Amino acid sequence: MAWKWDSPLYSLADEEQNDRARKVWEGESLGGIKEDNNRLPRPVVWLLGLTIISAFLMTFPLWGQRPTAAIYADYIALMDTPEVQELVETKGDDAAMQYIVKTVKATGSKWEALQDRHPLTMNDLRLIKDQVIELQNAGADLEEYSILGNQVIIANFEGNCKGPMNAAGNCAEGVERERKQPWWDRGYTIDIFYVIYFCLAVMIAIKRLPNHNWKPDHTKHH
Amino acid sequence: MFKYLFAKNEEIPPGTAAVYFGFSSILWFVIGTGLGSFNAAKLAFPDFVTGYEYFSFGHMRQVHVMAVIFGWISMAFAMAMMYITPALGNTRLWSEKLGIWNCFLWNAGLSLGLTLLWMGMTSGREYSDFPWFIDLVVLFGVILPLGINVWMTIMKRRTQGIYTTNWFFGSAVFMVWIVLLVGNLPEYFQLTGLTEAYLTWWFAHNVLGLWITPVAAAIAYYTVPKVTGNPLYSHRIGHLHFWSVVVFYSTPAAHHLMSSPLPEWLKSFASVEGVLILVPAIAFVSNLLLTMTGKWRFFVDNVEIKFTITGVLMAIPLNMQGGFQQTRAINWYIHGTGWIVAHAHLALLGFSTFLEAAAVYYGLQTIMRRKLYSLTLANFHFWFLLIGFTIYWVSMTIAGLIQGAAKIYEVPYIDTVIAEHPYMIARWVGGTMVFTGNLVWLYNMWMTARAGTAIPAGRLPHELAYER
Repeated sequence: MAWKWDSPLYSLADEEQNDRARKVWEGESLGGIKEDNNRLPRPVVWLLGLTIISAFLMTFPLWGQRPTAAIYADYIALMDTPEVQELVETKGDDAAMQYIVKTVKATGSKWEALQDRHPLTMNDLRLIKDQVIELQNAGADLEEYSILGNQVIIANFEGNCKGPMNAAGNCAEGVERERKQPWWDRGYTIDIFYVIYFCLAVMIAIKRLPNHNWKPDHTKHH
Repeated sequence: MFKYLFAKNEEIPPGTAAVYFGFSSILWFVIGTGLGSFNAAKLAFPDFVTGYEYFSFGHMRQVHVMAVIFGWISMAFAMAMMYITPALGNTRLWSEKLGIWNCFLWNAGLSLGLTLLWMGMTSGREYSDFPWFIDLVVLFGVILPLGINVWMTIMKRRTQGIYTTNWFFGSAVFMVWIVLLVGNLPEYFQLTGLTEAYLTWWFAHNVLGLWITPVAAAIAYYTVPKVTGNPLYSHRIGHLHFWSVVVFYSTPAAHHLMSSPLPEWLKSFASVEGVLILVPAIAFVSNLLLTMTGKWRFFVDNVEIKFTITGVLMAIPLNMQGGFQQTRAINWYIHGTGWIVAHAHLALLGFSTFLEAAAVYYGLQTIMRRKLYSLTLANFHFWFLLIGFTIYWVSMTIAGLIQGAAKIYEVPYIDTVIAEHPYMIARWVGGTMVFTGNLVWLYNMWMTARAGTAIPAGRLPHELAYER
């Protein structure tokens, strides 16, 4: 079990150990099965790298979340304007909703992408309107509320405490938890370390083998 | 079997336990897929067999699932371990007698467990449906004896090296024992709520990830080099595959519960690991396909390679689906729909079944020293299995997408049921084709044992496939 560190990407085993490994590799028959010592093809290495990057990018909680109440606040603010009221009476709900969406888009909402992802009808807006206004009047942060059917409810995500914690690790009395889901959390941090440890451990295991330039001669099997 | 239960170990011919396990697995496959076909008929034709409590879908569904997992798949694994582990160590199985007792207890315990499930005695936890005392039989009467035989055979090997297949066999038996022990804790200690939900899916995920997937892959690592005569493309990639299964397959259990109140960080962690399941899949598929270099004619000519490579190729859609369907972006849409049923069948009836069937075909011919009775029937089996499975998978995937859309847009449930009806009929057709293929397989292997041409010493069964 001698280790060699002068060229770790070539081999972590000394020549004596590599010689022993080569001898066993070539001289021993494992039920008539032989093994080669090829390296992972380069395109597959790239594919693995792409997989690891995709694993993070695909799983961020930016995707597939329920809409928050905040993204509809601008819509609701326009509902009672004379232009919208007139459209509802003369051309109906669909035309009025189109006008609202167009107007909000024209003014440049920061929620534009989410509004596109979660379109709704005038009837949907009517169902949540009073609840959203009530929350606004109470000074609530609308980003902490989700739209669930016809209800506006506090988001089920519970993150870090907004203030100090007690000795037991819970939020101190009167301190609430973060309700806005961040795009990053400690699960991803753990993943980063986990993947790094894995890559290191597998590289060490593989680099203990004879270098991939060595090709076993299978004619030496008994 | 009974005459060997009390015989001396030395008096039992080598390979006897493997033969019993092999035929048991085929029989359970026929029973399991027969039940599947029956259940599918109930979904396709709602008036089919009504009025009998014991034939209701709720009684029958889990009997089908457990018969297939613990009867067909796991017994085929045991069969493969009984003959491949000693073959790779140039030795005999540590104890044929233990193997035969193992097979006897396995069949008896499974029959009892399935009867109880059928009567309605269930833990109510998907994939761990057996009541707690049957779980103990599985732990101590099924997996532990199998593990002892495999571990002791590896320890008593006559080689210095241990081939990749045996790394997987030895460690998978150990890992599944731990999974069975820990995953069933809610039944022993009455754990409820989120803890029960998490442990249920920790169990279900790891039975797939640390038992079915690695053992099926290990079989392919044996079958392809053995039958083609090519060396395994890379011992190094074998290391990458093995360790990535252990590391990335053991951690994503929480991705089965993405909409539950589990801590978000745990879901994030599990979801990334869920995509990283592609790492072992890429290693496995690339290693096996590169091993086929220059021998692709076997994919057409040879029944074992036909099954094996089809299974290997199915690992690609399986892991692409598995990796991405559990992300937040996709899971909200397909969760709780037929898509998941299609995916589960791609794993169990597609990927793993094709690999195990190859091992059972090859093993039974090799041990019994009998040439396959009918290559035509074997090809019939292959095509009925492949076409039947494909019809099943495609129809259930479409049905799942319909259900997902209906769920999101709050379509009345009965409208969804009507929209799915054609796909339920297709599901039944596909499942019944699989069942029919398996009946033919059972006949073919039985006739191989009874009337197959003897294989001369020094020859391998696949070498004689086209010789008369």
